[in-house]
Amino acid sequence: MDGRRITRRRFLQDSARAASALALTAWGLEGARGTASAQELSFPVERGASLRVLRWSQFVTTDRPIFEQNAARFTQRTGVPVRVEYETWTDVQPKAAAAANVGSGPDIVIGFFDEPHLWADKLVPVTDLAQYLGRKYGGWFDVCPQYGYSPQRNAWIATPIGAPGVAINYRVSWVREAGFDPDPARFPRTTDEFLRLCRALRARGHPTGFALGKAVGDGNTWVHWCLWAFGGRVLAPDNRTLTINSPETANALEYARALYETMIPGVAGWLDPHNNRAFLAGEISLTNNGISIYFAAKNDFPEIAQDMNHAVFPVGPVGRPTELHLFSQAYIFSYTRYPNAAKEFLRWIMEDTQYARWINGMLGYVSHPLRAYTNLTVWRSDPKALPFRDAVARMLPHSYAGRPGPEAARAMAEFVVVDMFADACTGRRSVRDAIRAAEDRLRRIYRS
Amino acid sequence: MEAGLPHAARGRAARLGALVESREVLGWALVTPALALLLVFLAYPFLLGLWLSLTDSRIADPGRFVGLENFRYLVGDAVFRLAVFNTLLYAGVAVALKFVLGFALALLVNRQFWGKRFVRAAMLLPWIVPTSLSALVFYWIYDSQFSVLTWALRALGLVSRPINYLGDPDLARASLIAANVWRGVPFFAIGLLAGLQTVPRELYEAAQMDGAGRWAQFRFVTWPLVLPVSVVVTVFSTIMTVGDFQLIWIVTKGGPANATHLFGTLAYQRAIQGGFLGEGAAVAVFVLPVLVACVALAYRTLRRED
Amino acid sequence: MRGVARLVGFHLPLGAFLLFLLFPFYWMLVTALKPNRDLYNLSLNPLWTWSPTLDHLHRLLWDTHFLLWTRNTLGISLGATALSLATGLLAAYAIGRLRFRGSGLLGIAIFLTYLVPPVILFVPLSRIVSALGLWDRPAALVLTYPTFLVPFCVWLLLGYFRTIPQELEDCARVDGASRFQVMRYVTFPLALPGILSCLIFAFTLSWNEYLYALVFLSSTDQKTVPVGLATELVTGDVFQWGPLMAGALLGSVPVALVYSLFVEHYVAALTGALKE
Repeated sequence: MDGRRITRRRFLQDSARAASALALTAWGLEGARGTASAQELSFPVERGASLRVLRWSQFVTTDRPIFEQNAARFTQRTGVPVRVEYETWTDVQPKAAAAANVGSGPDIVIGFFDEPHLWADKLVPVTDLAQYLGRKYGGWFDVCPQYGYSPQRNAWIATPIGAPGVAINYRVSWVREAGFDPDPARFPRTTDEFLRLCRALRARGHPTGFALGKAVGDGNTWVHWCLWAFGGRVLAPDNRTLTINSPETANALEYARALYETMIPGVAGWLDPHNNRAFLAGEISLTNNGISIYFAAKNDFPEIAQDMNHAVFPVGPVGRPTELHLFSQAYIFSYTRYPNAAKEFLRWIMEDTQYARWINGMLGYVSHPLRAYTNLTVWRSDPKALPFRDAVARMLPHSYAGRPGPEAARAMAEFVVVDMFADACTGRRSVRDAIRAAEDRLRRIYRS
Repeated sequence: MEAGLPHAARGRAARLGALVESREVLGWALVTPALALLLVFLAYPFLLGLWLSLTDSRIADPGRFVGLENFRYLVGDAVFRLAVFNTLLYAGVAVALKFVLGFALALLVNRQFWGKRFVRAAMLLPWIVPTSLSALVFYWIYDSQFSVLTWALRALGLVSRPINYLGDPDLARASLIAANVWRGVPFFAIGLLAGLQTVPRELYEAAQMDGAGRWAQFRFVTWPLVLPVSVVVTVFSTIMTVGDFQLIWIVTKGGPANATHLFGTLAYQRAIQGGFLGEGAAVAVFVLPVLVACVALAYRTLRRED
Repeated sequence: MRGVARLVGFHLPLGAFLLFLLFPFYWMLVTALKPNRDLYNLSLNPLWTWSPTLDHLHRLLWDTHFLLWTRNTLGISLGATALSLATGLLAAYAIGRLRFRGSGLLGIAIFLTYLVPPVILFVPLSRIVSALGLWDRPAALVLTYPTFLVPFCVWLLLGYFRTIPQELEDCARVDGASRFQVMRYVTFPLALPGILSCLIFAFTLSWNEYLYALVFLSSTDQKTVPVGLATELVTGDVFQWGPLMAGALLGSVPVALVYSLFVEHYVAALTGALKE
């Protein structure tokens, strides 16, 4: 409890803005204390309502049937037909963009990261829903309000759904050979020890591999972790001042360079799928990834599934977790004719019976945003899924320490931080020049 | 359009039969369906796109008029300038290679040989397969660890280390150009093959009688006659290559370090992923002068040939 | 000696070309038949598989909506092709044959429209598609694909009409045929190869299109092959390589077979079109 309060206070300091004190209640953080008095909430569904939901296509084959069952049960209960449409996770955004621009399309979109903040004033505020869920389920993790709440609208504009988490994937036997304890609980916890492990692995002919190409998930997650672990950050909490050019960033880059020496050649061109393949082929001993490698291994490479495990990212000199995960949230376009039905649907899928079934069925692919769901059975069923449990709890927003919004979306879409790391690691630029180049690009993006 | 309508209106009142025989009326009547389609689905959105490039519009926000601000901003933007360079390099090299290889292939299949029909159909395959899927094949062929190319070169003893196809800026450009050439060669080959078949046999016979060697025959008979076709095919291919999007988006997303960003990918990234619609439209509008220059050049070349 | 010359000057280069152009298809085939285990096994020869499997094909055909998507794509492609061909044919005839006032300028204008890249068009275009109530309907694609098909068809047919001697039409006119009859019974039949090649070109481009299909269609049962395959066979950072490659093969080889029937016509058509 103490630890949490400190993080919360720290977060408030970080996002020092006038609205924060006022918004505290709006964020549902109050709910973290008193859950007992949670009242049931339900939205009066409009007569003749029907819903279209656009979401990312499944990462694991059990996802879709359960999601659709949940939707079907919603239809049974409320009489509201729900049509679910799927797109590859990177293709949701262009469709949502067209819908936002045109003013027609799906009623609900389940997308990623900044999306709701790109068209914040086209969305139905869901503050009541967010507060209710926060109250009922032990409160949202700290990162949730930063993604779900819009200071511009002074309301929650999206409902966090969860995050496909990323962890360190490693080969148990090789870690042991390198002289380290492969138990995830005793896995290197500091960046220094982690580097020692990677070097020992490399020395034994088992290089590591971290994507440095335009890998939306695998590239962004590890470089942001590294940047923040050493205290570097793109923006000051005022969301305007660029703070990328700092000794902390330089330290992070130096560390990454050392790590790069333990990596397999070719990572500079890696996209998201590359490390999966290299890991399954036994070419690399350690990488950062979601639970997807483990699942592919369970199906086709049981000996690798047996010999691999996951651990959370180590903590750097800043002394607390600094992770980034793919953050997914649902939002309702205000052109919908059935805002209440849409809210009711989101409430329905987030309530424990449905949500628990869904997340349990996804076998650890997606981590929950509400504290109470830390007890879900999925986090007890397979110990190898456990390190993904706290993904949302341990993460920071990609815009850190600024706010999500068009500029942050663009900085990430343009891979500014990834490129900075790639420049420094591959030696295309010196550490100082890499930082300067990134700063120039950020300055243009933030027009400051 | 305006010139034709009054005619048509007057005409309908008068004798219809005679009017259908009129060049003007019939001409405009026949052109109207195509024009209507192009006006509604192309000209209108295009003008809208032009307008967007002059605003600071974001997705779901019409923005306000900012004049040439987006263009001014882009000219000073290192990433955009790199994209200009990449596009020119990509299109220039790829189109030149496609032309040379396509011409060579056309010359080869212009002969009589066993299996001609099969070869002519098979050579079109790269052009038929959806780019979104063939790009995945190249993505796999250029893998840093699993590349079958590297495997083959290793098996032949030509290289000892894996090749970093997509991690090195120059190699990544070369790799994407190769993939684009693969896809585009059939288009050139089939177009130029058609051109070759228009060359009358008698001309070659006459040249042979004059004692011309194979090179001289090519230089003085084949080349001049195929030139107009070449120009047209090249223009169409240039347009398609400059506007390329899918291949790059799937294989590198513009990386490493923006070394393979083209106009299309940059416009998409800024307008859709970043939400800066106005700026993205401005990036795309920059394509126009390049293409208009190509077309103008082609027209002049064709004219001179006439 | 002649044999050697033919080998070096003809068979070897042709072989090299076929290797270059067809190798990726061989790779698709091998990948589609390989079990997943072998796909990531670097100690095996990647060019062959000793334990071929039909699982991927089975998965593609029965666990995804591939057949339905193929039907959609076929319908949309045929529709867009027919529309482009019909409008393009009439326009090309008018511009090339009737030579009415302003026709030359119009020809150039239509050619120029080919220059507008879809990447900038799709956001403004989505507004029009929505205003016409075409969201998530195949008609959206049937009506928007002609924007890049009509210019090419017009251009190609214009060239082709020029190769048909004007005298043929004049004779028919003297015999008392109306302009429509001339078109219907004289010019169009003679232009058939040109029309065929337009058909093939338009069909191929519609068959491959991705961006408009992604944005304008949403429901699973409306999707086209390229978009549908990406939706159901790319799961996060895992590509289902086997079924994807099987889909690529099934999506292109049948078209190539049809091509092989047309290809001689196609060549003939272009030959005619470009003869000047």
